[in-house]
Amino acid sequence: MSLDLWTVLTIASMGVVTYCTRLGGFLLLRNRSLSPRALAVVEAVPGCVLISVIAPRFVSDKPVELLALAVALLAAWRLPLMPAVLLSVVATGLLRHFL
Amino acid sequence: MTTFGSSSESLARHPAAGPEFRRGLKESLPVLIGFLPIALVLGAQAADKGFHTIEVPMMAGGNFAGGSEFVAVGLWTSPPHLLLIAAMTLLVNCRHLMMGAALAPLVRHLPARKILPALYLMCDESWAMGLADAKKRGGFSLPYYLGLCAAMWLTWVVFTTVGAVVGPMIGDLATFGFDMAFTAIFLVLLRGAWTGFKAARPWFVSLAVAAATYLLLPGAWYVATGAASGLVAAWFLAGKE
Repeated sequence: MSLDLWTVLTIASMGVVTYCTRLGGFLLLRNRSLSPRALAVVEAVPGCVLISVIAPRFVSDKPVELLALAVALLAAWRLPLMPAVLLSVVATGLLRHFL
Repeated sequence: MTTFGSSSESLARHPAAGPEFRRGLKESLPVLIGFLPIALVLGAQAADKGFHTIEVPMMAGGNFAGGSEFVAVGLWTSPPHLLLIAAMTLLVNCRHLMMGAALAPLVRHLPARKILPALYLMCDESWAMGLADAKKRGGFSLPYYLGLCAAMWLTWVVFTTVGAVVGPMIGDLATFGFDMAFTAIFLVLLRGAWTGFKAARPWFVSLAVAAATYLLLPGAWYVATGAASGLVAAWFLAGKE
């Protein structure tokens, strides 16, 4: 098996870029004490990141996908993590299969 | 296991690093259910694009950010456009900047030899679960977080490789419901962070902007624009109070 140098370099560049993104925010805030306003922004980070990643689900053009999302929303609101994941996966699979 | 709890600081905060690490391993299970099929699909797609089998775990383990890996494989040519792929990786992963910033106040007391690998392993799920756990228990548990990360990283590397090896046999996994696992995980984490509508207003800004960006712009801009706009909203809303 021969590795292509350019391929390895490209893969390595991905790793380096990604590690820089992981380090950057931490290094920037490591030695600062935050103002209440900056603290409010930091506290909003988890919600804003998570909802942005799954946002495409909310604007799917397929009704069955929106229905599956509704099931996931309901399950996530009511159940602990594991049952919510299982129910969402099974319901989504069934909805796609039968609708 | 001793490496995770050997400093006096860590021992004082978490008298039992071993059980904490194992708690992380155990609680990662729902996430692994989501990782597994997606890892197989990514590995199969990478093999299809001409990756050598060994290059798949190199990417999966060295980069460990699934979204950017799907984007990279989607853009992959022979030879690959290094700058294009590095730039798209930066775009998809610049949310890590905000994630690391949110984590900083909780982990800045840790020595670099612990925090550097801990950040290396930070993915959406381990980060959000680590933060949620810190909120619930009143302190960040590094061994718990590393337990989450170890299980997720290993699963990702092993099953992307398996996907590259078994390749074409697994084309249809995405049509089952497995991809909904991540949505459910993220929604449960959002519920955990919910403290009322007022505090969640930036989330709705993020949702609206990310969704609009997704519909209007090609590629992965929606994560960056959605997250950033929510934080701008949080900044202005906090200023009004």
